[in-house]
Formats: sequence, C-alpha cells, structure tokens
Amino acid sequence: MKFMLHAVQQALTNILRNKTVNFLCLGIIAFTLLVPGIFNYISFNLDRYISRLSENIEAIFYLRDGSEGGEVERMMQRIQGNLLVKEVGFTSRDAARAKFAREFPELQYILAEFSNSPFPASIDVRFRADARSVLQIESFIRDIEKNGIIESVQLNLDWARKIALIKKFASFAGLFLSAILLIVSIFIIFNVVKINIFYRRDEINILRLVGATDWYIKTPFLLEGLILGFLGGTLAGGLLLAAIKIFPVYAEFIFNIVKQLIDFRQLPLRIFWELVATGSAIGLFSSFISLRRFIRTAPK
Amino acid sequence: MIQFFHVYKQYFRSNEALSDINLSIERGEFVFLTGASGAGKSTLLKLIYKEEEPSKGQILIDSINSTLIPPARLYKLRRQIGIVFQDFKLMMNRTVHENVAIPLLVRGEKKAAVEKKVNSTLALVGLSHRKRYLTSHISGGEQQRVAIARAVIGNPKILIADEPTGNLDTELSIEIIRILERINASGITVIIATHDLNLINLFPKRIIKLDKGQLVLDRPSEAGS
Repeated sequence: MKFMLHAVQQALTNILRNKTVNFLCLGIIAFTLLVPGIFNYISFNLDRYISRLSENIEAIFYLRDGSEGGEVERMMQRIQGNLLVKEVGFTSRDAARAKFAREFPELQYILAEFSNSPFPASIDVRFRADARSVLQIESFIRDIEKNGIIESVQLNLDWARKIALIKKFASFAGLFLSAILLIVSIFIIFNVVKINIFYRRDEINILRLVGATDWYIKTPFLLEGLILGFLGGTLAGGLLLAAIKIFPVYAEFIFNIVKQLIDFRQLPLRIFWELVATGSAIGLFSSFISLRRFIRTAPK
Repeated sequence: MIQFFHVYKQYFRSNEALSDINLSIERGEFVFLTGASGAGKSTLLKLIYKEEEPSKGQILIDSINSTLIPPARLYKLRRQIGIVFQDFKLMMNRTVHENVAIPLLVRGEKKAAVEKKVNSTLALVGLSHRKRYLTSHISGGEQQRVAIARAVIGNPKILIADEPTGNLDTELSIEIIRILERINASGITVIIATHDLNLINLFPKRIIKLDKGQLVLDRPSEAGS
C-alpha cells in the first residue's frame, strides 16, 4: 500500500515535471480515442434505430388454395416456436375479404364480381424488436417460404437491409480507423515513456545500484502510462459528450435525416467507460513495452 | 568475505582489463586498491557489485557465486554493498536528506525509522546542518560526504569507494578517509580505489596494487603485521 502510494506520487510528479510532452500526449490519446468513440456512438444509434423499426416488421405468408387445416396449424406452431417471432395470426380467405372491404370501402364493387373470396388465406407474423435479427429474420422467412403450403410471402425488408449496410460500413470504417489510431496512440505513449525514462536514466541507475527492485523502478512508469491513458480516455468521453450536445443544433438545420437516425439525447455510459478502459489499457500496455525494452538494454 | 578466483575481464575488442586476478578480502578489512589510471581498479570494483560480469573466473561474495545471481535477485546483493562513486551519482535536484534516504526508501522502511537513520548518518559524516539543502547547492567535499552517507545508511557489509578523494584537496581527503575508518571500525569491510599514494602512505592499511589489469602487489596492513 505504502509502495503503491509512493509509486502514484512518483508517477504524478513525473507527469507534472514534463508537462509539455505529457499534455501533448494526453491530447493525442484523447483525439485518437474520440474517433472510435464517435463511430461507436453512431453504430449504437443505428442499432437503436433498426430496433425501433424492427418492432413493425411483419411477414404475411400467403397459403396455397386447398391447404389443409392440420398443415396450417403445424406451420403456425413451427413459426411460433421461433425466438424471433412475437405474434402469429391466421387470416382466412373470408377474413381477408372482410378486411379489404373494411379498409377500401370505395373498391367494394370489385369484390361484388366474385362469389368466393379472391384473397388467399394467410399466416401473419410479427417479429420481436432486435436490430441484430434483421438478417436472421430474412433467413427464417426464406426457410418457411420453402414449405409447400406457402404460395408467396409479402415482406419489405429493404429499409432494414440499407440501414444494416450503413451500420456495417460505419462499424468497418470505425474499426479500421480505430485500429490505425490506436497503433498511433500506443506508439506515442511508448515514446513519451521512453523519453521520460531517458530523462531519468541516471536516477534509475542510482536506484538499481542502491538495491531497488525492478518493480520499484518500473511501477511509477507503468502508472504514468496508465494515468495518461485514463485521463486521455476520460477527455475523449468528455469531448464526445460535448460534441453530442453541440452537434444537434447544426444537424437540425443541415442534416434532418441524420437527426432522425441519431438520438442525440445521451451518451451511453457503456461507450464512456469503454473509452476510459481502452485509454487506460493502451497507456499501461505502451509503457510496459517501453519499460521492457529499457530493462533489457540498460546496464544491470 | 570477497574472493576472486582466476578472474579475467575483457571488454569488446580491447585488451584484458583484468587478467587472472586471485584475491581474498576478509570481513571487516580496510583495503586500498591502487594503481595508475586504466590499471583496472574500477573494473574490479564493478565486478564486486556486479555492474560488470567477469569474462572468466569466479567471484564469491560471502560464499555466494555472484555470477550465478539472476538479475531479478541482484537487489539482494546490492543491499549488502554500499557504493561511493567517483562521480558521486547523486540526484542533484533533490535535497541532501532525500539522497541519503533513498536506500531505505527502496527497502520500504517506515518514515520515522528513515528520519532517525538519516539524522544519525548525516551526523556521522558531519552534514546535519545541510540536511534540507539541495544537493546542487553544496560543495564538492560535502557532496562526497552525502555519497558516503548514502552508501552506509543501509548498514551494508561492504563499502566500496571509487576514487572518493579524487576531486578533493589533501585536508578534505584525509577527513574523508577518517570518516571511512570510523565506518570500518563498526565492522564494515571498506575497499577504496585510489591512485593517491601520499594518502595511502598516511594510513597503514592493506594495499592491493594493479598494473595493466594484473595484480602486482598485495601488501598486508602494517598495523596488523
């Protein structure tokens, strides 16, 4: 405990001693984490948007004429058994005719031409809201469609496909940019810690010669990286929050569609903690690598 | 006890810095290690506190083969040896107190104990009045005494001093050796590397002389003989 307090004190002293380098490093970490933070936030919002729309996904399986009641019943049970399905209903031919007459009273004269209902019976399915399930829903529908009693299926998933594609692109672009920026970030912290080690190489050498353990020497440097990463992550979270508060004012006028897609009201705590955790991990990892190199090459 | 058995040291692409050194230093001895510049004095000292590794041969410190000590355990050896460096190796931006306290702090000693030991050690080297001074603000002779205080505060078994009087006038040099004599009287083995023959002649101690990396003289203490 005493040792850790000493190490934290030492790390903070070192950060303040080399203010310019460390604050520059802090800014760069914050920027490099802000980019994945923005993409993560966009992705999160697209997920929510798809979820909201998914609540209205309906598939209507039109049945072949002459389908037997037992077959239809089994099919409905099979559909109901799927976890993606929220509700299953059956519309008979007569019910379909009645529904048409109810919804389009001005076209009733057309129905008068037919003695029997011209509409096929159908199984109507509503799905649960889950953004990730769009592709699964599609696959499930294709599977059901193969059944002999199904004549055709009415479904409009085009919007969901498009949103899913945008989300996929955003995730990919975010991942790609994040990977590059994270490598840059690691490289920068690695070098900042290296510079700090270089500045203090005489002191490190003295500590070694008076009997300090490797951990006694290394811990303040590791903490230095950890603190820089932690502060960088927190700053990135703060900047993201500020951007979220400021951006909608402009977005309302310029990108109305964006405003519809993205819920600017809040920054999910998950994204904030992810930024802080990633920053801390990068800081710790970079200083660890830097120290390992130094310990390997320094005189014993 | 320090024992060297057929120890050789050769630096990369150079002549041998030390060649076939055999010697033994008993616990509590006071030894002058002498020789011209480049004779191998500093190298021999570095081999004792393991800043350098021998190219060949064995070095035993208290019957432990130092070449077999892994880097992670090196601190245990270093805590038994106090070192006064030729260039002092002090932290100039820290106070005298902070410099002297370092060996105790790295061992995790309690603040009160550190304070007590720092005070008594500074009194031993006559620097109590400079306790709160920045090390860069005191004289060369005082810095030398800070280095000695730092070397002995951890109560080492061996004290090594590499040219501890190199930058000092005769009067100050004698004063430093007298301080080291007092430390030796408490049972600590003292090894001083120096090329100052006038100083050596003033103190009837054991002399080990090196020349071009070879041990050419090992004269016992006159006081003991």
